[in-house]
Amino acid sequence: MLSDRNPYSPIVKMSAASASSSGSKMKNVENDNSSKRTVGSVKKKSSGDKNKKSESNTSSTIIKVKSVIPKRRQDLLKWYGWGYKDSMFKLEGNAATFTGNRYSIGGQTLPHLAQWAIDKFGIDPSRDPKIPELPKTFAESRLPESIRLELEEIAEVSIDGMDRLIRAHGQTLKDMAQLRTNSFPRIPDAVIWPDSHEQVEQIVACASRHNFVIIPFGGGTSVSGAVTCPAKETRPIVVLDTSDLNSILWLDKEQLLARVQAGIVGQDLEREMRARGFTVGHEPDSYEFSTLGGWVATRASGMKKNTYGNIEDLIVNTKVVTARGVFEKSCRVPRVSCGPEWEHVIMGSEGCFGVVTEVTIKIRPLPPVVRYGSLVFPDWESGFYFEREVARRRLQPSSIRLMDNEQFRFGQALKTENTWGGVLLDGLKRLYITKIKGFDPAKLCVVTLLMEGSAEEVSERESKLNNIAAQFGGIPAGATNGENGYTLTFVIAYLRDVAMEYDVVSESFETSVPWDRTLALCANVKQRIRNECAKRGIDKYLISHRLTQTYDAGCCIYFYFGHYIGNCVDPVSTYEEIEEAARDEIIACGGSISHHHGVGKLRKKWYADTVSEPGRQLLLAAKKALDPDNIFALGNMAFEEHSNNTDVSVKSKL
Amino acid sequence: MNVGRAYVDILEPRRKPGGIVGFMTRNWYPQHTMTLDKKYSPEDLKDLVANSLYMDSIMESICSRTGATKEELQKIVHNFLEEMGLDKKVHVIRWMGVLFLKICFMMKIKMFVNEVAVFKLKSIMGNNPVLFLPTHRSYADFCLMTYLCYHFNIDFPAVAAGMDFYSMAVIGRRMRETGAFYIRRTLGGDELYAVTLKQYVKTVVAKHAAPIEFFLEGTRSRSNKSMPPKYGMLSMAMVPFFSHEVSDITIVPVNISYDRLMETTLFAYEHLGVPKPKESTGGFLKALHNLNDHFGYIYLNVGLPISAREFFNQNPKVLNSPETAKPMDLQAVTPEQFKQVQSLANHVITVQQKNTMVTIANFVALTLMQNIQLNKLATIDEVYADIELFIKDLGYFGASIFVDLKDAVERILVVHQKMMKLDGEKRLKLIIASPMELSDEVKKKIKGHLMHPETMATSVSVIQLQLYVNPVLHFLVPASLLYLCVFHDPGQVTEVYFERVKVLRKMLSHEFFYVESDMEDKFQEALTFCSRHDVLAYDKEMDTLKLGKDKKRQWMLTWTLAPFITTLHVATLIMLEQHGRITEAEAAKRIQRKVVEFVQPREEHWLGHPYSLSLEVARNCLRGLADARSLIKYRGDNISYEAVPVNLEVAHRLTLSVLHRIPVDFHNNKAVCNQLLQSRL
Ligand SMILES: Cc1cc2nc3c(=O)[nH]c(=O)nc-3n(C[C@H](O)[C@H](O)[C@H](O)COP(=O)(O)OP(=O)(O)OC[C@H]3O[C@@H](n4cnc5c(N)ncnc54)[C@H](O)[C@@H]3O)c2cc1C
Repeated sequence: MLSDRNPYSPIVKMSAASASSSGSKMKNVENDNSSKRTVGSVKKKSSGDKNKKSESNTSSTIIKVKSVIPKRRQDLLKWYGWGYKDSMFKLEGNAATFTGNRYSIGGQTLPHLAQWAIDKFGIDPSRDPKIPELPKTFAESRLPESIRLELEEIAEVSIDGMDRLIRAHGQTLKDMAQLRTNSFPRIPDAVIWPDSHEQVEQIVACASRHNFVIIPFGGGTSVSGAVTCPAKETRPIVVLDTSDLNSILWLDKEQLLARVQAGIVGQDLEREMRARGFTVGHEPDSYEFSTLGGWVATRASGMKKNTYGNIEDLIVNTKVVTARGVFEKSCRVPRVSCGPEWEHVIMGSEGCFGVVTEVTIKIRPLPPVVRYGSLVFPDWESGFYFEREVARRRLQPSSIRLMDNEQFRFGQALKTENTWGGVLLDGLKRLYITKIKGFDPAKLCVVTLLMEGSAEEVSERESKLNNIAAQFGGIPAGATNGENGYTLTFVIAYLRDVAMEYDVVSESFETSVPWDRTLALCANVKQRIRNECAKRGIDKYLISHRLTQTYDAGCCIYFYFGHYIGNCVDPVSTYEEIEEAARDEIIACGGSISHHHGVGKLRKKWYADTVSEPGRQLLLAAKKALDPDNIFALGNMAFEEHSNNTDVSVKSKL
Repeated sequence: MNVGRAYVDILEPRRKPGGIVGFMTRNWYPQHTMTLDKKYSPEDLKDLVANSLYMDSIMESICSRTGATKEELQKIVHNFLEEMGLDKKVHVIRWMGVLFLKICFMMKIKMFVNEVAVFKLKSIMGNNPVLFLPTHRSYADFCLMTYLCYHFNIDFPAVAAGMDFYSMAVIGRRMRETGAFYIRRTLGGDELYAVTLKQYVKTVVAKHAAPIEFFLEGTRSRSNKSMPPKYGMLSMAMVPFFSHEVSDITIVPVNISYDRLMETTLFAYEHLGVPKPKESTGGFLKALHNLNDHFGYIYLNVGLPISAREFFNQNPKVLNSPETAKPMDLQAVTPEQFKQVQSLANHVITVQQKNTMVTIANFVALTLMQNIQLNKLATIDEVYADIELFIKDLGYFGASIFVDLKDAVERILVVHQKMMKLDGEKRLKLIIASPMELSDEVKKKIKGHLMHPETMATSVSVIQLQLYVNPVLHFLVPASLLYLCVFHDPGQVTEVYFERVKVLRKMLSHEFFYVESDMEDKFQEALTFCSRHDVLAYDKEMDTLKLGKDKKRQWMLTWTLAPFITTLHVATLIMLEQHGRITEAEAAKRIQRKVVEFVQPREEHWLGHPYSLSLEVARNCLRGLADARSLIKYRGDNISYEAVPVNLEVAHRLTLSVLHRIPVDFHNNKAVCNQLLQSRL
């Protein structure tokens, strides 16, 4: 019933890790396009050589990682949406497919998806998808030539329009809408790629000298607007792309620590570690593209936090270049009692205090056994109480997630011809007939499990979980179903693009909430959204949630909401209004502003109330201490966006 | 200061019948440098290195850069360690000890050691690693130090040895078994070798509870005096201290002085650029045969131990490095720490210099050399008188002097009977060896300018004598330079002379090592010496200097430095003539040739001090001129130089101003006994 997996053996396609192996399959996406760069971006040979030298002088333990993602991101990644260029959902009449061969469902037909979309949203799959044209005109770079030349002395610089456009945004709905219509009020004026801490220091010093803005840019997966170009900024904006800061500076297999440059991409980091028998185990759903520095700056949370911890548990030291100098703790210790922990001021700073350049991070030996599992519960409530009990007894495996019925059914809609997606229902049908009559397919919920450890530990844990599940009416539903659930995680992110192409706007948002308020919060938020939709005459929509993380004191709830644009004049704004109402409801019900996505520019409204006024003052004081000239003028959290002009926010239209 | 009494001949007890075997077979429970919970065998040490985090990290990095596999690299590292690693076989050491004593007795050696210093050192041993940093004047240094440890019940030192020993069949192996580990001199850009060595040294220091011994000067000095230190080895050895793996490191400078060096002839030829034969076991055995002779005394001056912690204490940047945030095993020496290691190394060299034992051999050589330059044949009584004066003056400059005048001179004449002798009227003469016929083979390999065989013979003999003069010169250099500056341009204020002496000192710094921060004190000392003895007349009111009346000392201060200044001056000449870059080897050769022209030749005989023909001196002058910014130095496989014309012009004039041509025919000289001439008669 359960499948054992030895992580040392070649990673099988369907495991969660397949995403990490996907990169190595991409052949030769080398950065041989550099010749196409604008004249201004040609890197000075001399300064490059100089840097190489200093690097090898300081240490020769450096492992220079070859990233899956090329410097010209647009060569591999979809410029107008999520993920890899070659991977996307396609609707052709009633037959849906997922292209490419990077994911398990790649290249397969999804016979149920189109019908599901028609039923849910009333879309018309027979018409052509709305795919945007490659933009040809871009706002002129405002970076004075003299400064550009100065920056080129430090590292590679580009003022190419596409290079700038694709780094103007993160992955919020609004970002996507503006990107597809090339209607950002502001895009960066240049991009620079430092490859060492020292270069970052020089760049920040240069910015202080000339008073231009720096935006640290990792993977651009932000879903809070944090990395989005501040619309009203009048100074030149330089995006500091951290993708060249991706070396492993040292790796201590004995202490289980690694010193890594902050720009390393999640899948690169994980691949390098696995190749050496280790894992960081930090796997946010975006880890194919998000970066270590981004995780630190947003206080990210990974799927397997129960075993490996969230980013704040994983980090031992952080080195940050601020406008006032380099910030770093002098010792590498497990804990320190030395007044407030300032490192936590950097974690979650959303780029506003400086650039994280190097991080000392914990690593773990690869677990000998990775096993998936799944459990079915008659309804959300019994699944919830099961989760609560597991958390109470601190028996969480690496990952434990509860999906509501909506998601369960969506999962069914994603099943391929090869029927792996059907296993659950087929199997259940049998179960349903033989044993557990009374499970309502329109109510049942699924828990997916990811267990790691020695064979013994895993088996023991599994039988304990099964026993608890039984107490709450749950029954095991097989390893394959569990595994499928985790695999889908990475594919789900591609849905938003196809949705947009067929006039559906959608987005996810999350919160953390105490156990005792969770059920009420879930119900109230769903109801609030229904009401908001009704108010606006929206009748084709989807609202769904899952419980993705559990803690002693509460859990994380993840909502999905999407609606057909119908007659909306400004569907993105409509969506945002409804999400805002949902967030108001969340807060009123005792939930938080965010469990892991962060505040950014989207959730500023609730910041001050969340941290209290003295808290806000502390934030402002920290800014004043670290960045008095507002070089890092991202305008996230409680910070104002610079403004001279009148509001120029452009109405986005799909 | 005559220190003779504090010294004990530690070989004395072994001269009794049965003294050797009984001693070499005694029980062996030596004093260790540290008490560690675990003892690490030589094999353990290699394993620790091979499996260290440092090696692993480096290999990971190399793999990622070059595509090599970890297994390949591990294999290479394994081979490096097999080549490098020390061994310890007590029975071998015992046998070697027996052999050592037999040879010592054959050579009629006494081995004087300042015993009290060793006892004191032993009493503080036990808590942290100990580094023995001896001077390196002879191959015998290795054996002496190991024997010293055996004698005093100290665990055998792990000795860093050059690869030339490694290739010697039996010797190489035996040396390894007595604790030698082998290092390649040129790391040749081989990253993996360099890091293996680093890690090995670090591990031996931190985990091998025996003293570590290496030569700061990097190689045997060919001039019987100190050379500027090399910093690499010491900085590797200090890593466990910087990473606080050990609480302290005790550094023990040791000076070893010899009444008679075995290698002088070889060295003399080397100075002239005639190739040195490669060390080989055969050569070694032949050398053994020549040992049945009188070699006099050897003096081991064990210096006061220096605590690294105390030495660095003034500087918190050294003790607290940002590198502590790294894994201990990956901690690197910071630039600040490296600077401090440099000053520690420099300090140790100055201590070695100061602890140089000035012996009767040096004094006799000094007087004889002085008389040769005066073309004067001195009686033994005159020699005594001269020696007394030298003792007084060198004592003033703080030299450690080991002299028992009466029978000492007679003893030394026996020891050096091939170099000097008393004639029938008890007058002291230098013996000039008969000219050596160089084979065509050797001629081809000559690095310098090919000289007339007779000039060569004379030069070789005089240079050998000079080798016994050299060790005392550093005491006299500041006074010499001061005197020469005043002689050329009297009546200036002292400040003016100070500046000139400073520049000249720097130009000669590779020849006569010193620490710049000591310069002012040394100048003061020289000034006091000169004015006290009326070498110079000091006008207190005006703060100016004029020449004094002490002709004898003036002469001493003139001739002692003359050959060096000649070479230095000629170096400026050569470099002024040169357009563009020139390699060090080529420049040295040209300097040598120019020196011959410079001191006018008469017939085939040459009127200059042969030591100014030394290629080593020429190279040192080039380096000094580069330090003084008169030349630009280009590092690389071949060091090369280019003139900085403006500065070099100044250097040229300055050196000319202190140049004294002392036209002496060393060949036909009253104080020289020319075997060739004699045989012709
Ligand atoms: C499909 C999808 C799934 C996601 N799943 C998760 C999840 O499971 N868990 C989770 O926590 N988040 C998740 N996220 C959100 C996002 O991936 C995280 O916030 C992530 O940490 C951002 O990393 P990034 O490298 O993409 O940063 P970016 O988006 O480039 O930047 C985010 C913020 O961090 C700052 N920043 C980036 N690098 C640095 C640096 N080196 N120094 C200083 N500041 C820096 C930026 O200025 C910006 O303010 C998801 C997002 C998407 C689109």
